[in-house]
Amino acid sequence: MTAVIAATHLSKWYGNVLGLNDVSLEIEAGITGLLGPNGAGKSTFMKLITGQMKPNIGQVTVRGRKSWNSPVLFRDIGFCPENDVFYEEMTGWEFVTGLLRFYGYSASEIKERAAKALDIVELTKDKDRLIRGYSRGMRQRVKFAQAIAHDPEIVILDEPLSGLDPLGKRKLIKLIKEFKSEGRTVLVSSHVLPEIEALTSEIVLVHQGKILAQGDIRFIRELIESHPHMISVRSSDPRALAARFVGDRSIQKMSFGADGRTLVVETHKRDDFFGCLTGVVLEGGIEIEEISSPDDNLQAVFEYLVGK
Amino acid sequence: MMNTHRAVREVFGFFLCLGRKTGKTRVFALLGLVPVALAVVVRVVLHGRTGDMAAVFTEILMVFFLQFYIVILALFYGTSVVAEEVEGRTLSYLITRPIAKPAIVLGKYAAYSLLMFLMVAVSLSLSFFIMNAGRLADARLYLTYLSYLGVLGLGILAYTAFFSFLGTVLKKAILVGLVFGFGWENVIQYFPGSTQKFSVVHYLKSLLPYRPMGGGGGGVALLLFRLEPTSPAIAVLMLAVIAGVFLALACWVFRTKEYLYEE
Amino acid sequence: MATIREKGYSHWDGKLAERRYPWWPITRVGIRLAFRKKAFKFVFAGAFMPSFIALVGLYISERLEDFKAIVRSNETLINVSPEYFKTFFTSNGLLFLIILVLSFAGSGLIADDLKHNSLQLYFSRPLRKKDYLLGKMSVVFFFVLILTAVPGLVLFIFKMIFAGSFKFFLEYPWLPLSILGYSALLSVFFAFYVLLLSASSKNTRYATILVFATYIFSNVLFGILMSIFHKPALALFSIPANLQQAGAFLYGQKLPFAFPAVWSFVLLAGICALSAVVLNRKTRSVEVIK
Repeated sequence: MTAVIAATHLSKWYGNVLGLNDVSLEIEAGITGLLGPNGAGKSTFMKLITGQMKPNIGQVTVRGRKSWNSPVLFRDIGFCPENDVFYEEMTGWEFVTGLLRFYGYSASEIKERAAKALDIVELTKDKDRLIRGYSRGMRQRVKFAQAIAHDPEIVILDEPLSGLDPLGKRKLIKLIKEFKSEGRTVLVSSHVLPEIEALTSEIVLVHQGKILAQGDIRFIRELIESHPHMISVRSSDPRALAARFVGDRSIQKMSFGADGRTLVVETHKRDDFFGCLTGVVLEGGIEIEEISSPDDNLQAVFEYLVGK
Repeated sequence: MMNTHRAVREVFGFFLCLGRKTGKTRVFALLGLVPVALAVVVRVVLHGRTGDMAAVFTEILMVFFLQFYIVILALFYGTSVVAEEVEGRTLSYLITRPIAKPAIVLGKYAAYSLLMFLMVAVSLSLSFFIMNAGRLADARLYLTYLSYLGVLGLGILAYTAFFSFLGTVLKKAILVGLVFGFGWENVIQYFPGSTQKFSVVHYLKSLLPYRPMGGGGGGVALLLFRLEPTSPAIAVLMLAVIAGVFLALACWVFRTKEYLYEE
Repeated sequence: MATIREKGYSHWDGKLAERRYPWWPITRVGIRLAFRKKAFKFVFAGAFMPSFIALVGLYISERLEDFKAIVRSNETLINVSPEYFKTFFTSNGLLFLIILVLSFAGSGLIADDLKHNSLQLYFSRPLRKKDYLLGKMSVVFFFVLILTAVPGLVLFIFKMIFAGSFKFFLEYPWLPLSILGYSALLSVFFAFYVLLLSASSKNTRYATILVFATYIFSNVLFGILMSIFHKPALALFSIPANLQQAGAFLYGQKLPFAFPAVWSFVLLAGICALSAVVLNRKTRSVEVIK
């Protein structure tokens, strides 16, 4: 698949501070989560993609075209910035329609698109109120509306869920997922791991300006050989289960859960362990209720990679 | 991508709509009512003395317009063309649209220039015609009025272009602008020879439709003090060149410079 | 037993201790922030030019013999007296430089806090409104006093050093009080003035224009009205004229305008009172959205 967004040896300095450190990566269609703590370089990367900043070294292209000083690209890009800033004297309606004017639409098309975008973010009722009087969540939603009103193929969202209540977040997550099914490219950043996990399994992990990993969460996890996998097994008799496992050399560590029914195992050889578990199940005598991987998530992956 | 002409028009429309709503515009418009109030007061005090009133307007109120009002307006709105977007962090909304960056500068410049011109025109018209209410049948009055309006309009265009350029280049453009507008522009008139020509106000004063009578009145000294006027044609040309050059520079700088938000 | 700690921003539950000078950290930070701006350092240094020139004048007045070769006719080229100090302190040049420095250093004092919603951060500390305002005002006090009281007293001391005697002090023992009194007047007035205009907008650029333009406009208005009506009392419209009138009174010199100096004091006090009312309303921890 051709990359929609491609960065090649991309580096960016802010004076003496390195914002992005020799980043090379390709982003394809679908939803890609850009994950990292505050100051990792996520916003810097997004600003470079959207042509708001010039790379110091390297280049970033969108559909093969350099993004710096290429306004033609923005016909197909929608950007939702992180900052909570607006033209405060405008109403939500004026804000969205005003920015739609820059796409060359007719007056009736502008109205139609604005109405649709505000309807999607559920701001139709409040569209004629001044943005100054909006709540934090409403401000975030109107920002999202201006990013999608022109139906862009590529949507860049910098911390789009910030400031939203749980219900608002669920709705926006659902909406973003719909973009994927429409074949669009969405790059969404967040420092909140569960948000990214809810959106996508394709992630790019950023830390201190560097890309730590890119790809499916689970494949990344598989690649982290230095850290043992954690597997949690809930059963009727965890201690008896532990007694059966204790001789197995694939297991490095075992502990019991606080609920008294869970056995947590750490192993470097997942396949060997599952083979052993299967044997225990076949032998019978212990009822296995649930098997899960507590560290098969973004938080654990990220923590392993940054060495915390 | 929209062609540049249309883009400029759309940016113009966007900021004209936005600009006229802000509280600051209301404050500046109110400031423009000061000469109107003065005109009413003077008319009451100097009732019947039409010659005196014409002189008062020309010699005194024009000082307010030429050396204060349009400078303050142009300084604020001119620096706002870019600085406002950077300080307010709304620049992202504009430069991530399919419009050429210079169109943003040109459109905003045009919108703010029109806003300022309207404020000045209302203020000038009211104060001028109140002061000259006894001479409304005189056709030359309207020529004088149009001359004043033209001078102030050209002043707005030239100053705003210069301050827009400052706003694209400097972080603290307003302070450099204050030093230029109220320091340099006032002090330069004391310099001999061609030094005066290194100011915008020199060319504006050269276009004023008034020259002091023998001996000069008290107020004339304020505006035309030591003025060695340039010919009107050259003055208009220079003002157009100043506006054009600084606007072009502002567009070029805005296109090539990277604007980082202060954290 | 382990407890879950909320990692978000939360109000401190501890006992709030009284500081002796709760306004001081605000002042310190305000001054530091002003000096961070490169251009400000240049302008601030330039603002000392009048003081330096006055010092040179003082030196010349004591070294007239050395300059006799240059000064052919007039033995008393510069007569250093309270008039000399009053001229220096009330000069349009010095006042212009003060307002320029304050446009740089003072216009964002409250405007920035309003813009970034920082007031609630201030008032969630053991800080009263008057401490906050005093802290902000002290930034203005610092800059005005360093441009007026400090050079004024230094000039006074150098006069005696260059003269080699205390004669000047014995002749005018009240002069240091005049210097301090007028400096205090300028500091207090400009503090209220700058904060009033800084509190009127969240936009620092606009506040800068307001600080400068209001000052200049008042003088322009006075000039216009004076040209029309020729009444000295019209000087009440001009901020610098009122400061000059008050200054002349405090130095015991001839008033520049023919009206009682008390009118100028009342007007300046009125502006300070208006500022106090506005500041009291504007500086609250909760923003009321209309």
